[in-house]
Amino acid sequence: MIRGTVLGQVWAARRSRGLDGRKLVLVAARDADGAATGGVVVAVDTLDARTGEDVTVAFGSGARNVLRPGAENRDLLCDAAVAAIVEGAG
Amino acid sequence: MILGRVVGQVWATRRDPRLARTKLLVVRPHGFYEPPLGTRHLVATDEVHAGIGDEVVVCLGKPARESLGSNDTPVDAAILGVVDRVDLDEERLSPAGAAPGIRRPLAAAVVSAGRR
Repeated sequence: MIRGTVLGQVWAARRSRGLDGRKLVLVAARDADGAATGGVVVAVDTLDARTGEDVTVAFGSGARNVLRPGAENRDLLCDAAVAAIVEGAG
Repeated sequence: MILGRVVGQVWATRRDPRLARTKLLVVRPHGFYEPPLGTRHLVATDEVHAGIGDEVVVCLGKPARESLGSNDTPVDAAILGVVDRVDLDEERLSPAGAAPGIRRPLAAAVVSAGRR
């Protein structure tokens, strides 16, 4: 997973089945010191993260577990999902 | 997932049977994402009927491979949606180094669309 900041929202009416009704957010990646790396990723957001909030994003096939846990989620086209909204980090 | 623009289509009669009837589009990613081998593009399957010039969201890796119903398809990128609009917090984009690659290509087209 990485840490990042929500930059905004992506609207796409025409989308893959299984992602209907899911919110897509743009997340700017941060490095370990908290500085923006310039990397930006689109992630599915089930936690209703708002613009400006710090989040962690899970990548890869594990991201599908955020949408639907278990073995029956292989049809989901999702490789990045917001896993947590960060309130503080030490 | 990454954002990109559809810039072309690939036509192929002779293809892997697991790719039969699959539409293949050429996508140029926006922003920091660098496709392998310095090609500046990637070829993605399309199940949402995207067209040339559309802004799209592309899923990479294993979830893309499994999107055609089995685990053994020769696919590593799949278009999952056609972007209508991107709402960006422009103040968050202004600090130097924040999202440089997204800012320029999306600023003109998509951010202004978000203001409508």
